[in-house]
Amino acid sequence: MSNVDLTVEICGMSGDGTIAAGGFLNAAVAKAGFSVMAFDSYPAEIRGFGRCVTRCRIGDEEMLALSDKTHVLISLDDEQSQSRLSGLAESATVIFDNKPPSMVPEGASLAAHVEAGTNLVGIPFRDLAAQAAGSTRGRNIVALGGFAALFEMPPEYFHEVITKKFQAKGASILEGNLRCFDAGYNYSKEKYADRIADTLSSENGNGNPDRILQSGNIAIGEGAIDAGVRLYFGYPITPATPIMEYLAKALPEKGGKLLQMEDEISSIGAVLGSFYAGTRAMTATSGPGFALMTELITHGVMAEIPAVIINTQRGGPATGLPTKTEQSDLQAAVWGGPGDSARIVLAAANVPECYTYTIKCFQLAEKYQTPVIVLTDFFLNNRVETMAPISISEEEKADWNIYPDKEDQNNFHRYRITESGISPRPKPGMEGYSYTATGLEHSEKGGPDYTPENHMAMNSKRHRKIEGALNDMPVPEEYFVEDNLDLGVISWGSTFGAALEAVQKARSNGIKVGALKIASIYPFHADLIRSFMEKCGNILIPELNYEGQLAGLIGHLYDKDVIKLNQTTGVPIYPVEIYQKINEIMSR
Amino acid sequence: MAEKHFIVIGNGPAGKEAAFTLRERDPESRITVISKGRASSYTPHLLPDLVAGKIQEEDLYGCSLNSYAENDIKLRCCQEVVDLNLLKNEVVLEHKEVLSFDGLIIAVGGTPRIPENLLAYKDLMYTLKTLEDAKIWVKKLQQSESVLIIGGDLTSLVLTKALIHLNKKVSFILNEDAFWPLRYDDDLFKEAAQRLTDKGIKVLYDRNIKKIEQLQDGTNKVQVDDQVLQVGMVGAFFGLVPDIGFLAHSGLRIDRGILVDKHLNVGVENIYAAGDCAQIYHPDIKDYWISIGYENARMLGRTAALNLNCGCREEEVKPESIFEVQGININTTWWTEF
Repeated sequence: MSNVDLTVEICGMSGDGTIAAGGFLNAAVAKAGFSVMAFDSYPAEIRGFGRCVTRCRIGDEEMLALSDKTHVLISLDDEQSQSRLSGLAESATVIFDNKPPSMVPEGASLAAHVEAGTNLVGIPFRDLAAQAAGSTRGRNIVALGGFAALFEMPPEYFHEVITKKFQAKGASILEGNLRCFDAGYNYSKEKYADRIADTLSSENGNGNPDRILQSGNIAIGEGAIDAGVRLYFGYPITPATPIMEYLAKALPEKGGKLLQMEDEISSIGAVLGSFYAGTRAMTATSGPGFALMTELITHGVMAEIPAVIINTQRGGPATGLPTKTEQSDLQAAVWGGPGDSARIVLAAANVPECYTYTIKCFQLAEKYQTPVIVLTDFFLNNRVETMAPISISEEEKADWNIYPDKEDQNNFHRYRITESGISPRPKPGMEGYSYTATGLEHSEKGGPDYTPENHMAMNSKRHRKIEGALNDMPVPEEYFVEDNLDLGVISWGSTFGAALEAVQKARSNGIKVGALKIASIYPFHADLIRSFMEKCGNILIPELNYEGQLAGLIGHLYDKDVIKLNQTTGVPIYPVEIYQKINEIMSR
Repeated sequence: MAEKHFIVIGNGPAGKEAAFTLRERDPESRITVISKGRASSYTPHLLPDLVAGKIQEEDLYGCSLNSYAENDIKLRCCQEVVDLNLLKNEVVLEHKEVLSFDGLIIAVGGTPRIPENLLAYKDLMYTLKTLEDAKIWVKKLQQSESVLIIGGDLTSLVLTKALIHLNKKVSFILNEDAFWPLRYDDDLFKEAAQRLTDKGIKVLYDRNIKKIEQLQDGTNKVQVDDQVLQVGMVGAFFGLVPDIGFLAHSGLRIDRGILVDKHLNVGVENIYAAGDCAQIYHPDIKDYWISIGYENARMLGRTAALNLNCGCREEEVKPESIFEVQGININTTWWTEF
């Protein structure tokens, strides 16, 4: 088990610099060689009010999920932080500003609400910031300095990340922020010398500074660039917008272009047009935007045009909970749209998979000539985690499109019915391969054809093609699988990390439980899933949706009812919640 | 009628006893204990046993944190009172929160005193007042085979027992100022020295420390008059200074500690002091007396609480006097055990 497992939470009001402080903390701790998983939570409104929370779990081993308990709460706003106290671990540390601008009545300070036994650490954030930099703006940096001293974290890592952030803003601003950090550090080190713990000392890091700190959003953006994407069409929407922001800078550097469209319909239309013309393109959206795209996605299915859509799920339905996480677009991704419009759906479970599956989906889209949807979610997109750099092979970057043979020239059947269902696809302008691409049902040559025989044959061909794609899709990953498991936990997307941690804990307590991660949502590896299920006395499927959408998709493979654990709280599921469910099942 | 709010400043033996006595006598009132410490109230006279490894940390706690909640006593840990406003009956906490009270017991204890001539070396000397101090002793003793004790108060003598138990080599500079502001009388001083010598401890009498310096190997070179001692650790034990700086502008009468009458009242209605911070008027000697020791502190805390509670109905209940309860009694079990 991990020796270091520290969850730090920073809470403040919009405008307090909460999220910025979290960014510094994550980067500095990662540079110190620790594993990090961090996630921000902020209001849907743009700015000015509402609680902002950033949580960072720090360990010396790979972090699979966030922890339900907070070991250190840094309060930048006492009123906002009060509601966070219930999530504190026993003997937690609370760091707060003990010199507010004016006297406060009994009960108005955070100190009035902390449990006895809490390590309450008062640091005059505002006063120290004002002394160090002439304004109270750097109080969040002062707080970080105080935190670093309390946990014996070498200050140079923070100095490095603060310098990186502020050096372009001039010496005065940079030095002011560095002084703010040092002021908090020195104050804490002197005043709380008897409370310093060596949790984050140099000796406790895992000494792997080569790892990078990456968010799901940026990993998707980098995956797109490395996959050779040179065109992005999109319309801003939380939580997908950071992908667009990243590519707005990255694409021009690669000779590519990003175009903000008037809506999501035109975005998917442009992506289809780009692929039709032979250029890799993508779009990213969330539930409401995805709903708008569905008709044209089915157009891609019918006309057999590749497309890549990242669906960053958030709380729904409709506008829903824009800044909260959920896994409730699975059914929409698999089934959404008119007709029998089978398409490929993948789900990433962690940040490295955000990168690799983004690349993977271009291969699948091109080879199988169909829209491919990658499901992520608010938690996964916005969280950052440490990961080893990934290098991809030339084959993975290669054009996977299957081009027509020479003998097809001048008698080209674009939608030729083949055993695999894949019909070779030329780029427009290739001489002798002209065809009609249409959303109408069509013959092998592309002309409209509504005859019963043709529609049956074409539906069959299109579905055969998608089923065949399974050969190139990620197989389910088994963990701790053995015969006669008492319980199997099947999970997908960002919930999987929590599920695996819960399974590890249950096994350490003697429960025979295994886990299965499903990344290929549609089509899915029914035989492999069934094989896993057959080894398990019960099957538990935890999901961040109300209906149990994966359970609905694969539950029929099991000869009993699968047990569902559904949560729509807007926050990620914690390992302890799945662990408790495992215990409940085992005690039945 | 609004519930009464009693505040107890300090959660040592006196403060804890005061709070639980208040609750015992008044189930309805609101009681808040404000403590600079992080932990539940513990028995400080057992800290040397913790250093000796004879007990574990959990053995120190007389009651759990839960017991405060169970008795509806709000315990505010890691919080410090910085001002007392007698006109408004308010205390101000370091973080600028203002608490009103109907009754107040000040039981803040003290901090180890370092004589002025040794202040320059305070970073090289260790004291033993808190649990944190004890943990530092435990850690440092792992690398130290010898200890020099300077002073000679109660704590130092009990700690010496612990050090002997740990087979450490102990030297002692016995200083008659150790019980400041009281002084050893000659007989007691000689007896203390003899008992220490009998334990195989090298005792030096009233020597002047000229210099303490830390060597590269972590040991300390101590220049004592014309003699040089090299020891692993240096402990300083010169009694306690009441921790009452926050009362400087309160208007309360302060000498070494808070001056209180024989009922522990500070001269202001519903405000009492107890424990190490109280300087108690003795009607017989017509002077102020200072309590020492764990049991005495508890007794004072209880007395203050009883008087604060019954002070509200003075016509029915006679206030308790510590002299009537126990007389002047320094608990000296340390001495006989040593």
